[in-house]
Amino acid sequence: MLEPRILIVDDEERFVTTLSKRLTERKLDVVGVYSGKDAIEEVTNKLYDVVILDVKMPGLDGVETLREIKKINPGIEVIMLTGHASVDSAVEGMRLGAYEYLMKPCEIDELMEKINGAYELKKDRDERIRQAEIRRMVDQRPA
Amino acid sequence: MPTKQRGSYRGLRQYIVTILFVAAAIPFAVIGGSIYHQYRTSIRKNVTLQLTSMVTHHKESIERFLTEITAALMVTTDLVPCDKMETGALQNVFNSLQKEYGHAFEDMGVIDSKGDHLAYVGPYDLLGKNYSQAAWFKQVLEKNVFISDVFLGFRQVPHFIVAVKQGEGKCGWILRATVDAARFGSLVENVRLGRTGDAFIVTREGYYQTRARVGGGVMEKIEPGSINLSPFEGVKFWEVEDSKGHKVLRAKTWMKDNNWLLIVQQDVDEAFSELFATKNIAMVVFLLGVFLVAVVTFLTTRLLVRKIERADEEKKVLDEQLIQSAKLASIGEISAGIAHEINNPLAIMGEEAGWMQDLLKRDSLKDMTEMADFKDSLQEIAKQAGRCKEITHKLLSFARKMESVIKDVNVNELIDDVVDMVESEAALANIEIIRLYHEHLPLIYSDPSQLRQVLLNLINNALDAIKRGGEVKIETGIGEGDSIAMKVSDTGAGIARENLSKVFDPFFTTKPAGKGTGLGLSICHGIIEKLGGDISVTSEVGKGTTFTISLPLEQKRGE
Repeated sequence: MLEPRILIVDDEERFVTTLSKRLTERKLDVVGVYSGKDAIEEVTNKLYDVVILDVKMPGLDGVETLREIKKINPGIEVIMLTGHASVDSAVEGMRLGAYEYLMKPCEIDELMEKINGAYELKKDRDERIRQAEIRRMVDQRPA
Repeated sequence: MPTKQRGSYRGLRQYIVTILFVAAAIPFAVIGGSIYHQYRTSIRKNVTLQLTSMVTHHKESIERFLTEITAALMVTTDLVPCDKMETGALQNVFNSLQKEYGHAFEDMGVIDSKGDHLAYVGPYDLLGKNYSQAAWFKQVLEKNVFISDVFLGFRQVPHFIVAVKQGEGKCGWILRATVDAARFGSLVENVRLGRTGDAFIVTREGYYQTRARVGGGVMEKIEPGSINLSPFEGVKFWEVEDSKGHKVLRAKTWMKDNNWLLIVQQDVDEAFSELFATKNIAMVVFLLGVFLVAVVTFLTTRLLVRKIERADEEKKVLDEQLIQSAKLASIGEISAGIAHEINNPLAIMGEEAGWMQDLLKRDSLKDMTEMADFKDSLQEIAKQAGRCKEITHKLLSFARKMESVIKDVNVNELIDDVVDMVESEAALANIEIIRLYHEHLPLIYSDPSQLRQVLLNLINNALDAIKRGGEVKIETGIGEGDSIAMKVSDTGAGIARENLSKVFDPFFTTKPAGKGTGLGLSICHGIIEKLGGDISVTSEVGKGTTFTISLPLEQKRGE
């Protein structure tokens, strides 16, 4: 089975590096960036399954970054990370298509659960898209 | 209420009463006083005028009487020759004059130039008497006409005479008439001036010529100094205290060539009786008015000050509520800011500890001798980070404006839900949870999840307060107005009096360090307030604590 590709976006560098290590330890393919701008660049250039996105960041904030990511690749699942006070932003994020939100500091197990859920959802959807494409190709084949 | 504050209200009341009373009473007194003064002046003027005119008229009528009888005697002497004036003729003259002047004369006589009484008509035996030594006889010889003062004469009865001389030398004779003293007296005294009005005549030497009602009889001397006998023109008017102590008003005028002083007098009491009556009525009206003003002022002020007092009390309560709300809000804002900032380092700490725990699971480190200690320490770090997280999350939920989900709530069912959550824990501590529900409790329009949080907090606090063995009672009922009431009571240790006012303050806790954040009740307070309700606490040390919540049936729109 392919490892899910995860992008962690947070302006707290140490948080990104340590969480990256922990997720890598759990057999995930993890890349960490420290700003919304870098995240957009990453998503534009590479394929990711799940993005873990901090809501409150200097510059481009979580909600705006999410909006851009969804424009670039609507299939990516995003988990919002929030310090409690920005729950409203997290909820706003979910309206914009985020998979779930988690409150900082979060338990690794809970985060893994959400990542797995998001990945499953994406996989399932990708699978259905693939099936649909196959059906279309079969339908379009000349009899 | 503190004594000082009560004192200030009393001071305020006295101040307002004084100001209002003075402001109302002064114009009242000024108007009343000036009306009375005007009236008094006018009455005095009237009385003076009345007395003056009376004494003038009286003088005129007395003088007219004397002049007329003098003239009548002179006419008689002109018409009758001296040798014809014997007793018979005199009787005729006497009769006709008596008829003319209404029996004003007592007797009448003819005296020759030597003073011998030649003819006489009257009750006394005076024929043959000689008057050559009498003072009046000398006067009449000298002046031809003479009106005497009252004297006794041969008859030894007070009287006065009018005498007229006719002819000179041997043919000279005198017609003398005695005026009836009683009749003259009644003419003088006949003054129609109320009950105490009086008129009398005194001579220049100070002898009464007519009887004075208050004073002396005819020919008696006046009390020295009681009447000023110096001559003057016209009428004089003065007020004096008589021998009996009555105040009297007197008007006097000189008559009969400044020989007789006519005095008309009246008691002040009677003269000014109308004024005194008016004064009394005015005083009664004034006093009644003042009393009315005083009562109205007092009652109005009392009402006013009570209203102020009540408003102040309400303001005090509102101020306290405002301070409490402001305190909660500002503490909430500060703590939310701090909590949010702490969450990031906390997350990093958590992740670092987690990473170390991950590392310890690796095979390469399995043989490390202090593995158990490491694991224990890391677990503790994780645990304490968790505790911090709990605190910051509570702080944040206290401060955060939660999006309420408002819907119909059955409070009894909501309590059942919460009790289900804690019942097993309570049973372990041998604590009974008793539910006393109002059977027909109306549904309320509120936020069930927040209410659940409040109830859970209160019940947990109750269980903590009891520790082991006891009961928690949860009651529901209808509150005042459109509201319901909920009560959570425990049989725990109770809250000390000095702590009771602080229980809703954030971070206030009596639990040992690490056991309580001191945020639970302040969150409850915030929630209930936001839902438009009210939460209060009563407690008695050793007996237990009761929290009472009232909630509106319907939350105000826009909250």
